[in-house]
Amino acid sequence: MVQLTVNGESRQVDAPAAMPLLWALRDVLNLTGTKYGCGIAQCGACTVHVDGTAVRACQTSLGDVAGRAVTTIEGLHPEGAHPLQQAWVAHQVPQCGFCQSGQIMGAAALLKDTPRPTEAQVEEAMAGHICRCGTYGRIKAAILDAAQRGA
Amino acid sequence: MDRRGFLALALTVPVMPALAQTAPPAPPTIAANGINGGERGLSAFLAIAPDGSVTVFTTTTELGQGTHTGHAMIVADELGVPMASVRVTVAQPEPALRLMPNGPVAEMYTGASFGNRIWEPRLRRAAAAARTVLVQAASERLNAPADSLRLVDGRVVHAATDRAVPIGELVADARRLPLPETPALKPAAERTVPRREMRTDIPAKTRGAATYGVDVRLEGMLFAVAVLPQVFGAELDGHDPAPALAVPGVTHVVPIPRGLAVVATSTWAAMKGAEALPVRWKATAHDVLDSAGVSRALHAGLARPEAQRPKNDGDWEAAKAAAAQVVSATYEVPYLAHAPMEVENATVRLSGDRAEIWAPTQHQDWMIRDVAQALGIAPANVTLNTTMAGGGFGRRLLVEVAVQAAHAARATGRPVQMVWRREDEFAQGYWRPAFAARMEAALDAQGRVTGFFLRGAGPSVMFDYRPALFRNPAFVDPFALQSVTDTRYRFGGAFRAEYARVDLPPKVWLWRSVGSSQYGFFVESFLDEVARAANKDPLALRRELLAHDARALLVLNTAAEKAGWGTPPPAGRHRGIAYMEAYGSLCAQVAEVSVERGEVTVHKVTVAYDAGSYVNVNTVESQIEGSVVWGLSAAMGEKMTLKDGRAVERNFDAYPIQRMRGTPVVEAHLITSGQPMGGVGEPAVPPVAPAICNAIFAATGKRVRSLPLADADLRA
Repeated sequence: MVQLTVNGESRQVDAPAAMPLLWALRDVLNLTGTKYGCGIAQCGACTVHVDGTAVRACQTSLGDVAGRAVTTIEGLHPEGAHPLQQAWVAHQVPQCGFCQSGQIMGAAALLKDTPRPTEAQVEEAMAGHICRCGTYGRIKAAILDAAQRGA
Repeated sequence: MDRRGFLALALTVPVMPALAQTAPPAPPTIAANGINGGERGLSAFLAIAPDGSVTVFTTTTELGQGTHTGHAMIVADELGVPMASVRVTVAQPEPALRLMPNGPVAEMYTGASFGNRIWEPRLRRAAAAARTVLVQAASERLNAPADSLRLVDGRVVHAATDRAVPIGELVADARRLPLPETPALKPAAERTVPRREMRTDIPAKTRGAATYGVDVRLEGMLFAVAVLPQVFGAELDGHDPAPALAVPGVTHVVPIPRGLAVVATSTWAAMKGAEALPVRWKATAHDVLDSAGVSRALHAGLARPEAQRPKNDGDWEAAKAAAAQVVSATYEVPYLAHAPMEVENATVRLSGDRAEIWAPTQHQDWMIRDVAQALGIAPANVTLNTTMAGGGFGRRLLVEVAVQAAHAARATGRPVQMVWRREDEFAQGYWRPAFAARMEAALDAQGRVTGFFLRGAGPSVMFDYRPALFRNPAFVDPFALQSVTDTRYRFGGAFRAEYARVDLPPKVWLWRSVGSSQYGFFVESFLDEVARAANKDPLALRRELLAHDARALLVLNTAAEKAGWGTPPPAGRHRGIAYMEAYGSLCAQVAEVSVERGEVTVHKVTVAYDAGSYVNVNTVESQIEGSVVWGLSAAMGEKMTLKDGRAVERNFDAYPIQRMRGTPVVEAHLITSGQPMGGVGEPAVPPVAPAICNAIFAATGKRVRSLPLADADLRA
């Protein structure tokens, strides 16, 4: 049993401490917005925040986050209206959408630390995220747009 | 080819080109009493609830191509209801929803970029038929002639008396009326499609709220991971379940087609169990196959005396003999993986002699057929819930994961979600075939093309997925020379195209733009070589070959003009052009590229695109942008390498998919020629690689004849 805070709620998770956070979220807590893409921290689809920092949930064990605060895409904003989520809609970013939870969580961490990133900083911060549909141009535009609006 | 051979071809070839190139012949019925609509159905395509909300039963899986929004737009427009009242759901297969209800491909699936080019007319007709009977029902209710009524904003309105009936109140009466097979369609001037529409699936995808196949959660469900061989076709020799069963959470180890399933209470436990499971695989004859061996086999195919020859216009031998100059070259491309972000998966729940499936499949009929067969039950007893799909690109036309899930569900007596690990998705996921081509062009003394020869050699995609067609030895896989035999180019009269099938152990499959994906690179790079040999501008040569075709010329010229062809590019940059037609759409691209110390940067790709007409302009632009990145990614770095019969690349660390940095600006220019609607999801892929490689030649003088570019030495 591991205790942690998920999206502002204290949770007791009945799973081994060695279980990656990704699978604890998906298969135990039924928070399926966080995705499995590769299992080796190469694609970014499983990105969540731990105490406000972006991490790859496939390489973070449940034990690592005991007592800490985890934010998933479901908890990024109470109404799903974070400036990045709004920008994602305005720029019609997603195609298949499978990577986009991770993309948005990665971008949200960037804007928290660097509210007005340059294009190069966006590329640097998002380098760990794969979008097989190739929506990169729109992702970049949406991040810069959200930053302009003061995300 | 002798006459009998020709006739046999003439009879068989139309089967598949109907998918690849043109609309199917006879329009099917819209079916008055579809299974999908139930008591509220007004055809196989739609149902209307008492509150007036409309459910569209689409045939297409939402893979990211946006057809669910497109289909809502079409129905809302033709029926006369607000977009907000239309919901789109993937149908259970039934006759009217199959590609060719009475033809050889009586199947419901998503492929060949046909989401709108095939379904727009049928959906519009179904909506018009529904409107017709709703108006008739209102005519009786209001005692007013039908031609005095209009269906607007979800209500049938009689303007003269200021009366209106919401459509939800008319469905029961309308269902008693015969549906017209050829209803009057809205005049073009009154239509609201094409337009830019926000996609309906996007908000949920920004909140993590869209349900993909892997997100399905059922009461009592177990999680399974497939354990598959590393060598294609290797059979299970033996295994010891004990170490896997010792992993906490693992409940079963069960046989499934192609291998074993480790079943557990979480995906992670199943993965740990799969890692712990000792498995022996039988040796195969190709345990030593490597990429060099594949390449040798392809080149042997190029050199082989016999080949199929589906195109042989004029006299190639004579043209070659009379030529002032013959340009020739050999090209090659590697195996490629689809690598959709969502791995293969399916969830199956059994109950007596019934099965229910949840899966992000592209082929509903095959999945139901194969699961029913595996379980020994009737297809009618299988319900398929098609989920949102995390990418498809052709990969999800393969349905074996659902069969594996069904086996595991039966063996465990529990609902099972079967998932493939990313490593197996790469290594056992069926690939775009490795392929080679030899081309020759005959030129006269003035540098005019007088003949063209092409021999393609490689595995047949269709042989792996429709083997029955190949019982006729004259059958030519239409993807084997896709976009070649039907090119609009005129090569001065002599045009011979041949295909030598090379059978190799790795399974091959449809991969975004299929045969055109390699022929774009082959033909359009080679034409650049021909232009150089003839001392012509590459655009000018293509204009000559398309001089008879105003539509193609406009596409070519638009790309050239918008990209500033003929004007000096920004310092250090060079341009390359390419053109190809696939799935009924014409596409030309100009790539602006720089090469520094052998490193290629693609700055901008200008695209001219003619699909005839469009539905959602937003989605078209997105698909073109995505297609360019797809083509760029493959050209720059993608390849599946074989060593000791096994795939070397097994995850994203070894298979370099394009990332944000280095993604070019994509500028799309849409042309509305008014010709029959073409596809949108694939045709912008084939020109990408040759446009880039032609620009690289302009920059370096080096001709790239094999991909990926990562393997080419472009240093000065």
